[in-house]
Amino acid sequence: MDFSFLAKYYMFFIYGLKNTILLAIFSVCLGVILGIFLALMKISKNRILNIISTSYIEFIRGTPLLVQLYIIYYGLPNIGIDLPDFLAGIIALSINSAAYVAEIIRAGIQAVDKGQMEAAKSLGMTHNMTMKYIIIPQAFKNILPALGNEFIVVIKESSIVSIIGIHELMYNADTVRGNTFQPFEPLIVVALIYFIITFTLSKLLGLAERRMRVGDQSI
Amino acid sequence: MIRVSNLHKEFGNTHVLKGIDIHIKKGEIVVIIGPSGSGKSTFLRCLNLLEQPSRGEIIFEGISITDKNNDINKQRQKMGMVFQQFNLFPHMTVLDNITLAPRKVKKVNKEEAEKVAFDLLRRIGLENKAYSYPNQLSGGQKQRIAIARALAMSPDVILFDEPTSALDPEMVGEVLDVMKELASEGMTMIIVTHEMGFAREVANRVVFMDEGKIIEQGHPKEIFNNPQHPRTKDFLRKVL
Repeated sequence: MDFSFLAKYYMFFIYGLKNTILLAIFSVCLGVILGIFLALMKISKNRILNIISTSYIEFIRGTPLLVQLYIIYYGLPNIGIDLPDFLAGIIALSINSAAYVAEIIRAGIQAVDKGQMEAAKSLGMTHNMTMKYIIIPQAFKNILPALGNEFIVVIKESSIVSIIGIHELMYNADTVRGNTFQPFEPLIVVALIYFIITFTLSKLLGLAERRMRVGDQSI
Repeated sequence: MIRVSNLHKEFGNTHVLKGIDIHIKKGEIVVIIGPSGSGKSTFLRCLNLLEQPSRGEIIFEGISITDKNNDINKQRQKMGMVFQQFNLFPHMTVLDNITLAPRKVKKVNKEEAEKVAFDLLRRIGLENKAYSYPNQLSGGQKQRIAIARALAMSPDVILFDEPTSALDPEMVGEVLDVMKELASEGMTMIIVTHEMGFAREVANRVVFMDEGKIIEQGHPKEIFNNPQHPRTKDFLRKVL
């Protein structure tokens, strides 16, 4: 195996990595915002909001990301909405991620013991106060690890947007493969880069999780 | 203080409460006993609308709390509740558990709320646990804190839902002692419990419930020594 191409092409990987991370950060942030709304809709008592949120989540989880990406990328221009490629990539990824984030948040909130809600209510706290001081802080501990995982998933899944020509890590690896006529080695390099990022992130998350465990465990 | 008329509660097809009528006066200590599934916990939880009654009316301090337009949060501030599973807030220190509701609901300032909290902690002998988290406490200590948390709102009545049922036997006494002290101070208390000794000693009135109805009620002496209804007799024979 010959990695001497790195001397000439390393900037491709660094530039690609930058775009991959930007994609992931924007997509997860948007995904979390949209996911919070979806989760609240799903646990609300309003039936219409319920149905909207449930259909969204089921549809997105039941169709491939690639199809969703194509629909956004080729479909939107069809109805007169023209987006820059990078933005189309972020939108597709965040629409997809939001469905998973919504389920993570819903599960996190519903995993809080229902005695907590009752205790807060019995003290005369309003629903909003109860959510703010009692339920959300406890749900946060359930949600954070899964949300971190979702971030890692998005970093990996973002490689798929190379297909619409966004110069992220995977796309640039392909470019290097073409330029050097080495089909194999650049892939090893990107695989290693993906692994280093995701592995580091999951270690950091584990650390954060342990920090937050004060006063935890059963009631 | 609390007047309940014709209270019904159905869960789907199960008719748990079948018309409860009771009047509880200020300063009374009412102990509710009965076999499991008799509806005593459901009844208690209806009093502060943790369960929404299917039919009937509950009037608390002159206000109908079953009225759809009533904001129950107002009355809940005056009705403390102590749960079987303690339900302390695990992510907060003992002190924050006690001061949260006074500060957020009653808008008491932090200093004042903490002063009250320390007074309460001193009374229950757990002053040194103010900065501990609930998971660092024993069951008995947790329940005493839960009582302090309810007291911090200076309620007019406290509802106890089997407060000692989840405790190891050697911790039951310390919780009952706190409750006895409260009783001696004239707090109005409604208690669902299996502690017959406690009922006999502390209650002004014992209410026996079975199958969603009040079967018999009266002074503990009458109920325990001379029960009238065959089902009361049968139940007491099994538990005493």
